[in-house]
Amino acid sequence: MRIKIIRIVFVISFIIIIAGLFYVQAIRGQYYYDLSVNNRIRIVHLEGWRGNIKDRNGKVLVDNRISYDVMITPQEIKNIKDLFEFLSKALNVDKEELIDTYRRNKFAPFAPVIVAKDIDRMKAIVIEENKYLYPSLFVQESYKRIYPFDKIGAHVLGYVDKVNRAKIERFKEYGYSFRSTMGYSGVEEYYDSYLKGQEGGLQIEVNSQGKQVRLLSIKEPTKGQDITLTIDNDLQLISAQLLEDKNGVIIVMDNENGEVLSMVSSPSYDPNIFSDSKKRKKMSMLFSDVNSPLLNRAVSGVFPPGSVFKAVVAVSGLASKKITMQTTFDCGGFYELGGIRFGCTHVHGIQNLVQSLAHSCNVYYYNLGLLVGADRINQVARSLGLGEPTHIDLPFEKAGYVPSRRQSILFGKRKWYTGDTLNFSIGQGDTLTSPIQFVKMMATIVNDGNEVQPHVIKLIGSLPVDTYSIKRDVKIDKSIFIEVKKGLRAAVSEYSGTAHILDIEGLYVAGKTGTAQSSRNKEHHAWFIGNVISKRKNLSFCVFLEHGGSSQNSTLIARQLLLLMQKEELL
Amino acid sequence: MRRDLEKRIWLYTIAIISIGLVALYSASFQNVRVPLTIFYDQLLCVGVGLVLMYFLGKTDYRKFYDIAYLFYALNVILLFAVLIGGRNALGARRWIEIAGISFQPSELTKLALILMLGRYFSNRRPSLSFGVFNKMQVVFRGLIIPFLLTAVSMFLIFKQPDLGTSLLMFGIFFIMLFVSGLEYSYIFGFLALCLSVVPFAWGILRSYQKDRLLVFLNPNIDPLGAGYTIIQSKIAMGSGRIFGKGWLGGTQNQLNFLPERHTDFIFSVIGEEWGIVGALVLVFFYFLLINCGLNIANQVKDKFGMYVAVGIVSILALQVVINIGMVMGLFPIVGLTLPFASYGRSSFLVFIIMMGFLLNLSKRRTIF
Repeated sequence: MRIKIIRIVFVISFIIIIAGLFYVQAIRGQYYYDLSVNNRIRIVHLEGWRGNIKDRNGKVLVDNRISYDVMITPQEIKNIKDLFEFLSKALNVDKEELIDTYRRNKFAPFAPVIVAKDIDRMKAIVIEENKYLYPSLFVQESYKRIYPFDKIGAHVLGYVDKVNRAKIERFKEYGYSFRSTMGYSGVEEYYDSYLKGQEGGLQIEVNSQGKQVRLLSIKEPTKGQDITLTIDNDLQLISAQLLEDKNGVIIVMDNENGEVLSMVSSPSYDPNIFSDSKKRKKMSMLFSDVNSPLLNRAVSGVFPPGSVFKAVVAVSGLASKKITMQTTFDCGGFYELGGIRFGCTHVHGIQNLVQSLAHSCNVYYYNLGLLVGADRINQVARSLGLGEPTHIDLPFEKAGYVPSRRQSILFGKRKWYTGDTLNFSIGQGDTLTSPIQFVKMMATIVNDGNEVQPHVIKLIGSLPVDTYSIKRDVKIDKSIFIEVKKGLRAAVSEYSGTAHILDIEGLYVAGKTGTAQSSRNKEHHAWFIGNVISKRKNLSFCVFLEHGGSSQNSTLIARQLLLLMQKEELL
Repeated sequence: MRRDLEKRIWLYTIAIISIGLVALYSASFQNVRVPLTIFYDQLLCVGVGLVLMYFLGKTDYRKFYDIAYLFYALNVILLFAVLIGGRNALGARRWIEIAGISFQPSELTKLALILMLGRYFSNRRPSLSFGVFNKMQVVFRGLIIPFLLTAVSMFLIFKQPDLGTSLLMFGIFFIMLFVSGLEYSYIFGFLALCLSVVPFAWGILRSYQKDRLLVFLNPNIDPLGAGYTIIQSKIAMGSGRIFGKGWLGGTQNQLNFLPERHTDFIFSVIGEEWGIVGALVLVFFYFLLINCGLNIANQVKDKFGMYVAVGIVSILALQVVINIGMVMGLFPIVGLTLPFASYGRSSFLVFIIMMGFLLNLSKRRTIF
């Protein structure tokens, strides 16, 4: 009787076991089957390498080099003491230090640990030759980005670094993994998808220790596309040299097609720091530097424009037909409004438009501004590209800001007073513009209202990029620009002009100076926006010195720039 | 009918052994981690074992009645000896070497316990008188004494430490107690008492034993440590699906993802390479063998024989169910072998001896 009960209990136990088999093998079988496949198949990533970046003359500005890292696979270590003794001798590094690095970086028995990064080629050969003695040891080759010209043009070129956590989520579907490097800032970032090489890989079958059993398939990594820029490296060297020890920007752009020949933002940084493990320690210094060397002031820096803005007011005056070329205003050295004196640099006397631009007379523009009105000036400024991104092919461009009465009333904390219009008319107040915006504006004026698109890309691979060489009509009467240009030329050609020192033999130079008051009791910003025409070239350029004092300083640098360009036959 | 039962025991035993050998070859033929020598070792054991089984089948099992207590006492001494001078492997002392042969006394204990309890219970006569004193005597003689006798070896095995075998001893004791005819109220009262001790027993477990029990509840607690075995074993079982990956084709097995695949986890090798079909065939043979054993227990006329048959059948059933259950993650990993299939001389030979007893019992169902 009791044996019968035992039998029933056994039958039930067996039924449970059989039900378990059905559940695990029949119902959940596919799930476990997939897990078993994942268990044994590993993908070994082979890094692709990035395309080179060249200047317009084919000079290589960014290149790759092979770097050798020493790796150790923990589970294959036979004699840890021997191994590190050998390594210490071969690398000429303290043994304890190596063991320390190894211990710190080790996380799984099958995952190789980097113990020494970027070693000499000769040392790498020594290690490879002794590999048969130490099976856990191997040398891994990888590509490192090098920038032969260090700081020169770093803001245009950018730098590369490992993909960071924030970006990996967004870029996963474009083939980036946590192993990949990607461009940060500059062309490296903007054209990353072209520069980036295709990652390859080996699909291998491994055993439980992660050792390769056989190779299942292979995909060769490839190199990304080379990129040729419109930048002229010789000119970059000149610009960088002129801005040495100064905070500022030099931009030179071709008026015909918007090709940027030179763009230098100072202070600059050495992009090699990010790809060279030995220099990485300097990285944090870059981020904490008060002079913000990583900031590309040419496109991401926005500053009050000062008198440069008078060119805009001049255009809006003529466009609104409130004045003609013959209209004059009398400058007594100041303009009085409600008992407050708005000053001028000199007592200019009677000024017409050309004279006002040549002498940068504030009083003329106070009068003109009131006549035209802030709304109209805002409209013209915007159609000339101020307060709007130029859409140059570089990342992190700032739009800047051109104030308007409506915005001030709608969103501002205060009302728009007549005094605001006065300040606005001479480029003071809330207006913020970037150097590249002014270069673009100058080109528009030079081209009689045809706007070009500033850009730095010339070729991708061997294909010319022509999407940027379009011109757009800003829909302001052509004759207006011809008149304004006379004023800009007078600033150079007239003996009393603010930029007379730029009157260089053999060159047609025109332009507008600007001294912008900046906040916080610092030195003024010094601007010069110019146009130079030689037999071969028609260029717009900008020299901007952040807290550089009077515009005389920037004009002086513009002179040196033009002279050096002339000397180096770049004009 | 008699001849028939005998034949069936031979058939099922050999079938199970063969399936085990096929799986063991697959687990070891690559000679990495699990050396091929264990396959030949097992083959030798099978040869010796089958001969042993044949002769035991011819020997009158009642001879063992006479030596049952002595055998058990000797076994207890061996268990002591293991604790004092046994060979240390994987953090436990389980082996002892006598005359150049090393074996696990705890495996032998299974046999000794069955014989001892068989003799003890078969000597019990139903009590004819009533009264409180008498009841106490029944409990004392029918429950407490045999339990204490069992507890000695249970404790010694637990100290090795080997929780699985120790609990298995309790299982055998309980089933044989159940069959002994003691009143249900005493039996289940005793079981309830034992279960109430469980929470306190937690405290005396070794940390790895606790780990295993916790990991059983959630293997992902420690996927590379204590949970590794169970995860890999489940993957092996499940990935075999219906028809398996084919003999010598199990990736979990051949690429060394399965630890202990030649001993406790031989069933996952079978499950992976032969799928649910192969697994069910093996389980079915076990069931038939156990069924045979129960039939014998039903037919044997002398009580000692009946107890021994029940003991053998229960140990077989318990180990099969627990081993397969643990391979699939239904039970915690307690380190019990799969009878006849797992590699291990002591375990294999003890089960062979038990089958020899069953053969013998099948022949002698009546005493004239």
